[in-house]
Amino acid sequence: MFEVKKYSEEELVVELQGRNQQAFSYLYDNYAGALNGVITKLVEDRELAEDILQEVFVKIWNNFSSYDATKGRLFTWMINITRNLTIDTLRSKGYKKQQKISSDENSVSNYAESGAVEKFDTLGIRKQLVNLKPEQKVIIDLAYFNGYTQDEISKEMGIPLGTVKTRMRSAILELRKLLQ
Amino acid sequence: MDIQDIISSGLLELYAAGLTSNEESAQVQAWVKQYPEVAAELKAIELGLEDYAQANAVAPAAGVKDKLFAQINNQVTAANGNNFAKPAAVVAIKNYWKWAAAASVILLIGSVAMNFIYFNKFTTVNNNLQQAQEKLSLADQQMTDMSKDMEVVHSPYSMPVALKGQEVMPDATAKIFWMQNTKEVMVDASNLPDAPSGMQYQFWAIVDGKAVDGGMIITNDKGKKFRMQKMKSFGRAEFFAISLEKEGGSPVPTKVVSMGKI
Repeated sequence: MFEVKKYSEEELVVELQGRNQQAFSYLYDNYAGALNGVITKLVEDRELAEDILQEVFVKIWNNFSSYDATKGRLFTWMINITRNLTIDTLRSKGYKKQQKISSDENSVSNYAESGAVEKFDTLGIRKQLVNLKPEQKVIIDLAYFNGYTQDEISKEMGIPLGTVKTRMRSAILELRKLLQ
Repeated sequence: MDIQDIISSGLLELYAAGLTSNEESAQVQAWVKQYPEVAAELKAIELGLEDYAQANAVAPAAGVKDKLFAQINNQVTAANGNNFAKPAAVVAIKNYWKWAAAASVILLIGSVAMNFIYFNKFTTVNNNLQQAQEKLSLADQQMTDMSKDMEVVHSPYSMPVALKGQEVMPDATAKIFWMQNTKEVMVDASNLPDAPSGMQYQFWAIVDGKAVDGGMIITNDKGKKFRMQKMKSFGRAEFFAISLEKEGGSPVPTKVVSMGKI
C-alpha cells in the first residue's frame, strides 16, 4: 500500500507547495516525533499535547505557502511554529509565563544532578550527546525547546545578557562537533 | 562586520534557535543572502539543532496522524476541493475514503429516516386529501341534486299542488310540482312522516273520478326523502293523492292520507 519514498528537503518543499498529501504524510512520519518532543517538554497534559501536535501540522499544511526557504531550513520553520503555538496555547489556557518559568526553574536547577542524563538515555539520545556539558544542554533546551527569550535565559541561568549569544554559540558548536 | 565576525558573533545560533528579535532576524536573513559562507554556517547550525531535536523526539500518539489527515481533508472538502491539484497520497486516499464512507453511511441513515418521516407525512396528507375529496364530491352531488330540485320549483311550467293531511294523518302534507310542458309529476315528500315499517306511501292521480297509480314514494331512505321524486306522468287529473299501503303498493288506494285538488 505505502509507497516508500525519500525526499530531499528541496523536493519535499516543492511537493508540499503543490499540496501533495503523500509528501505531507512523509513530513509527518519524519518530523512529528521531533516536534512532539518540544510539545511534550512544555505540556504535561497528554491530550492537550496531542491536540497541539495536530494543530501544528494543520498550520504547517495550511500556511505552507508562507515558508521561505531563503530564511532558513524547513525544520527551523516548523519548530518555530511548534514552539509558538505551544506557548500561545498554554497562555490561552491560563498558564502564565511566570508560572512556566518558576516551574521550569526547578527542572533547570535540578537539571544536572537529577535524572536529566538518565532521561536522555531512556529517550534513546545518541550516545555522543552525553558528552554535552549540562550548562550547554540547558541553554540549548531553554531556547530551542522551551522558547525562552535571550532575556529570560540570562535571568534563568544567571549570566549577563551579552554572554547569552556566545554561550549559545559555544554550546551549539560543541553539539555540532559531537554529532559529526 | 566581516564574514568571520558574523559567524563568530553567535547571532546565527540565536536565529536558528528562534531567539532573535525581528530586527536581528532581518539582519541575519540579509547576511545569508549576501554571503554564501554565512548561509552555509547557518545551515550547519540548523542541521545540528535538527539532529538534536530528532535525538529528543517523542513518538506521537497513534491516532494523531489519522485525525490530522481527516481534518485537512475536511478542509479540502469544505473548500470545494480547493488546492487539491495533485492526487492524494495512498495513505491519504485511504483516509479520505474512510471518511467519505462514514459520511455516506450517515447520509444514508439520514436519508432513510427522512424517507420514513416524509412517507408518513405523505400518507397522512394523502388520506386527508382523499377525505376532503370525498366530502367535496358529496357536497357537489348534493349541490347538483339541490339545483335540479330548484329548477323544478323555479320552472315557469311547474304547477304547484299542495296536498293536505287527511283526518287519519293530519301531518301528512306534501307538495306536487306538475310540469305543464312535459306532464312530469314531481313530489316533494320532505314533510311526509316516515312510513311505518312494512308500509310505503303510494302516489295517485284521480282521473275522471278513478284513482290511477302514480308510483311509490320513498320516505324512509335518508337523504332520498328530501329529494324531489319523479312520479309517473299525467296528462290530466282532477286530484292528486297519497295513500299509505303495504310495501310494494296496492292496485287501489286503501288508506288515503293526503290529498289536493288541482
